Parts: sequence; structure tokens; C-alpha cells
Amino acid sequence: MSDRLHFFRCETGRCAVSLPFSLDGVIDDWDRLRRAMIRELPPAFSRDEWAYLLSFLAPEQLRLPFQQAFGVADATTTGAVRLLARPRGLVSVWLPGNVNLLGPLTLILVSLTGNPLRMKVGARGQDLVRPFLDFARPRLGDGPLARYLAEQVHVEQFGRDDARNRDMSEQAHVRIVFGTDEAVKAVDALPHRGDSSLVGFGNHQSQAWIEPACVTDDVAMLLARVFAIYGPAGCTSPRIAVLIGGTTDDARDLRDRLLSLWPKVMPRDVIGHVASQNIMARQWAAALGWDAVLTRRHAAVLALGKTGQEIVGGPMTLHIEPASFDEAVQHLPANIQTIGHALVNAGDRSWMELLARTAIKRFVPLGQMHFFGPVWDGMGFWRQLFEEVEVRP
Amino acid sequence: MSRLLDDRPFAPRDDVAFLREMTELTQWHRAHCPEYVRIWPVESEPKSTADLPFLHVGLFKRLLLQTRAEGIVHQRTLLSSSTTGNQPSRISLDERSSALQARSSLAILTEMVGPERRPLLVLDDARNLRQRGEVSARIAAAMALRPLACETHFLLDESAGRARTRWESLADVLTRFDDLLVYGLTFLLWTAWAKAGMPDEIRKQLAGKRVHFVHSGGWKKLESLQVQQAELERELLAGLDPRSGVVDFYGLVEQIGVVFPLCSAGARHVPRWADVVVRDPWTLAPLHNEPGLLQLMNVLAFGAPYHSILTEDQGQLLPHETCPCGRPGKRFQLLSRLPQSETRGCANV
Repeated sequence: MSDRLHFFRCETGRCAVSLPFSLDGVIDDWDRLRRAMIRELPPAFSRDEWAYLLSFLAPEQLRLPFQQAFGVADATTTGAVRLLARPRGLVSVWLPGNVNLLGPLTLILVSLTGNPLRMKVGARGQDLVRPFLDFARPRLGDGPLARYLAEQVHVEQFGRDDARNRDMSEQAHVRIVFGTDEAVKAVDALPHRGDSSLVGFGNHQSQAWIEPACVTDDVAMLLARVFAIYGPAGCTSPRIAVLIGGTTDDARDLRDRLLSLWPKVMPRDVIGHVASQNIMARQWAAALGWDAVLTRRHAAVLALGKTGQEIVGGPMTLHIEPASFDEAVQHLPANIQTIGHALVNAGDRSWMELLARTAIKRFVPLGQMHFFGPVWDGMGFWRQLFEEVEVRP
Repeated sequence: MSRLLDDRPFAPRDDVAFLREMTELTQWHRAHCPEYVRIWPVESEPKSTADLPFLHVGLFKRLLLQTRAEGIVHQRTLLSSSTTGNQPSRISLDERSSALQARSSLAILTEMVGPERRPLLVLDDARNLRQRGEVSARIAAAMALRPLACETHFLLDESAGRARTRWESLADVLTRFDDLLVYGLTFLLWTAWAKAGMPDEIRKQLAGKRVHFVHSGGWKKLESLQVQQAELERELLAGLDPRSGVVDFYGLVEQIGVVFPLCSAGARHVPRWADVVVRDPWTLAPLHNEPGLLQLMNVLAFGAPYHSILTEDQGQLLPHETCPCGRPGKRFQLLSRLPQSETRGCANV
């Protein structure tokens, strides 16, 4: 593949990005695949996962990382180039055992950079990368994306003690690790190139912040949908819905709306084990003083309580608490990642001041809590997949 | 002390007396266990055992529940075995309940292996006994047989990090006795006895002896080795006195004192001081002819509210008629553990 220069313009000048293919060609190929995806759902994917991939692959979404990193595409030939970016080299990715969709999403984002990619799927986890590649490869024809996926992408499945972990680390120019904090440390401890960078996505948790004035059935549905995808296990899933400035009655109103709307959000039965664990979680929460109820057919537990009260586990337990703004800030967990908001004025300066003094990594509308992107966990990690060359003509 | 224990375990049931005792026990825990009353705040008058409240078995992995009242002296904590990364269940034992539980398990096991006292050989390491304030489930199961023993020997040595069967202890017992009781987890009976390379000399000594093997702990590990029940029994009983036998029992630490032995007709029998309800996991409706979650109950637990437990084991009630093995009363079939699915998410779960 021959390298091609792509130009972008931002306020500080022009940037040239060298890619081993035509970016338009790759985005067109993804779009062609996307049209094929609308007609078929491979058995490995849930409908929600497939729908999310479809929206992720929209051409305007795929151009967004370049826009955020380098500016708008610039078809002109004038103006001095201030910066040249080129792919760093091999990107090794350790995927977590239980966030299956991150595999395809990371593959898509890295494919835009042209870097060779080696991905490790957890030995016990369900792999969605290879089913996605198996779906994509025969449907792509002979375009630049097909060549990239065939020649530059390697996916393997092995355990944490396998010698290939060391090999992946030693050869990588960028190491991306999804998993627990311990997993990130373990990968970082493996031998690696001196100029290799580590992007570690460790343990995080998220919350939904909702003002009582914003509580409607639509917001409750949105909260339920965002929660139901992963339950509290997702780092972007709300473990707690905080009624900012609300009262217990406000929290109960939200809980009751959720209770009646839940069957619409999760019309199908959860598996028997989840139903059983929800019975357990309801009792656990009640024992600790939460006003906890099961939704219809034991699909989830909705626990109403106070800020700072010990929260319980369980596969589908959503805690709901009223809190003043200060209480909510005081009880933010140290590993807070996303605040999904439904606020009267989320653009208010006070919210920016909050972000400035807390560890919150993302502050996004409720419905966008799970949107994975080039800036993640406080890092513009996608841009780090390029080496940047300062240019002074 | 429950009067239900005055009769043999599989004598005809007195369901009215059982419901009355269970209702009183429920009220007892509601009065003296604050967590329990928070979980079941509304008192109701049960019309059948299916109306009785329960605690989910998983709760005992999260909370150490205790019912504190006059006459209740908590002693040690019983721990379930747990796989890596999982919390064990913790059951707070007390004197009053322990006495009932010992009486119950002895009565049930006597039905299966007879009342004679004989040497008890435990396929475990004696060092597992010596945990201050705690007792493991496998040791507790073995100790339930102790009243039937004239002497007890632990046959495993785990000091080298790997289990070794102490054949020399067995040889010593065989020189003195013709009748033995052997207890072990199901997979240990296979790996540490049947397939542990028993020396020929001991095999000869064992030939013709009457041995009752009692095991528990499920078949998961042996199924992974593709060993079926018939094969295990054939291996264990080869060359022994024909009056020898193998008893597979099902029990939980959360129901200590009550075990459900598998009878010759493949049924699990419910002693008259216990009961079983099968429930739909999505509605909790009692199921009479379909498989569902097993709710186990007994009248033996005073020190903590583990008298009525919703398990994650699946089972099905068998027709309410006398079993081909001759025992009357309630019986059920144990099917499997509720299958788990992978949790999708990225938090530290």
C-alpha cells in the first residue's frame, strides 16, 4: 500500500496526515459494509450491539476523529503545513473478557489510522471481533479496507499467562489495554520498546445525574435503556441515578416511572440466573436499608436510598438517590468515568467548574453514555496512534 | 426442640405441624434478626409452605446474618467451599441449632447406612479442621457421620501442596475392622480412592470388607472427566462385600443438618422436619410438575434465618406417592445448577 497525504485545517494551520490508503476509500468501504449490516444480524451479536455498530460506522462518525484531532478536511493546496502525522506502527490491543463490543469498535477506530493491529481476545470471554471480521471480509470485495483487514489485522485468543502476551508487548509501538487496573499493570510490566506508549483503560464506574425538572417518561425510558445494556457492570453504565437537588419523593417518582416502563425497555425475559440473582440483590439491598423492588418478571432491581449508603451488587441493580449538588460531588467514586446527564442547562458554567475540580472523565447526555470515541478515560488515545512531526517551512 | 424429630425421618409427614413450626420460626427470626425483618417487613399468615418467606442462598455470601435472642449462643461460622474469586457462604452456628442439626443428619444417614458404629475414614486432611472460629463445609459434612463412628481417620495429606492418600492409615484400620464408613467429596472418592493407585496389598486386605461410601458435592468435576455415577459405584464396590453401598447426598451449608440422599430409585427424599418447594425463577410461583428453583426448608435453624432458602439449584417434584424404594412422603429430583451466562460489562465484577 502506498502512503497518501490527507490535509486538514485547524486554527493553527494545516496538518498533513499520511495514511497507507485513501481515507475516503476506507470510509466508503465501511459504509458499504454498513448497508449490508442493515439486512443481516450475525448470531454472535445482540440487536442492541448491532444497532450501535451501525451508528458507529456512519461516515460522518468515522470522519469525526480526524476532525477532532487535526481539523476539517482541506481540499485546497495553499497554506503552510505545520504538522505531519504518520501512523506510529503496530498497535497491540488487549481486550477485556467481558466488554465484547469494544473489540469491533476499537478495530474500526484503529483501521482509520492505517496502523497494523494485533488484538488479543480474553481466553474466557465471548469474542465479537472475529465474528465481525468474518461478517465483513466476504462482503467488502477488493477495496482498501478489505486489504487492510486481510493484511494488517490479526486477532488471537489466549490466556493471561500465554507467552504471546510478551510477544505482543515487545513488538508494539502502542499498547492499548482494556480490563481491570491489575490487568493494565500486568501488561505494562511486560517488556516493551522504549518509545512504546501505553493506553490503559482500567476500572471505572459511572452515574446518571438528573434534575427533578427533567424527569419525564422519556428520560426514564432513556435511563432504563442505557442501564439495561450492561447492567451496572459496564464502566459507562450508571450504577446510581442521582436526583440532583431532588427529594426522596422525587427519587420515588423516578423509581415508580422506571418500574412501570421497564417491561417496555426489556420485553424479553432475562435468563433464569439473572432473575435469581435479582431476587438475591433485592433482599441484599433491603437488608442494608434500601427501599428495593423487583421489576416485572425479576428483570431488574430498583433500589431507593440515600447518598453515601452502601450500594449492593447484582447483575441488574440500579440505585436511585436524591442528593444536593454538594452531596453528589462529595460521594463521587474515585474512579468515576462518565456522568450521563439530564439537566435543565448542561452547558452552564457551574458544570464546567465541576468538571475542572473532579475526576469525571466524560460529561455527556444520558443517551450517549456508552458512545465510545477517540477521547476516552481522559485521554485523546486515538491521536496517540500517530507520530507527529513538527514542520517549519 | 421440634417434635417432628421424634419420629424417623421418612415416616409419614405431619404437614400441619411442620407449617406451624416453620411459621413460629419465621416469627422468631422476624423478632430477633433486623436484616430479616427489613427483607420481609410484612407479616402474613401462611396457608401452606409455599407461602413461607425465604432468603436467597446468595445472600449468605454477602452478609453474615445472625438472630440474636436469649438462649442463642453463637459459636463458629460455617464456610462453604468457594471457587477462586467467589465469596464463600457464611453461616453462623449456634448451640441450640447445632444440637438439632446433629440429631437430624444422624437420623437421615442412619437410614441409609445403618446404625452400627464403625471406623469413619474421611477423604480430607485433618489440618482443615483447625481453623479458629470457622469450619469448612466439607469437614462439617464428614463430621455429620461422626456419631456413627467408633474412631475417625483423615486419609488425605495435603502438606506437599498436592493431595496424597495415606494408605498406611487405611491398612491399619483394615487389620482391625471388617466394616467401614468412608466419606469424601464425590470427585475425591474418584481421584483419591478409586483412581489413586491403591497398593495391591491393601486392595487384597479390602476385598470382602463391608464398606459404605458416603459422598456429596456434586458431579460437575467428574462429568468433566466423563465419569458417570454407575462407573464410580462399580469402581468403589469392586471386590467388596455385597452388602456394601454408595450413598450420594445433596446438601447445602445453608441447610446444615438436612441432607437429601439419593435412593435406589433415583429420588431425593425429604425428611419430615424439612420441605421442598419448586419455584419459577421469573414469578416465584410454586411449580408442581415442572422444573424450577428449589426452595429448601427445615425447622432446625434458630441462630440465623437459614430455615427457608431459595437455592440456585434446579429440581422437580416427583409424584406424591410411595417411592419404588419403599419410602413414603415427599421426594424430588435434583437436576442441575442454574446455568450462568457471561456478564457483559467492563467494571470490576
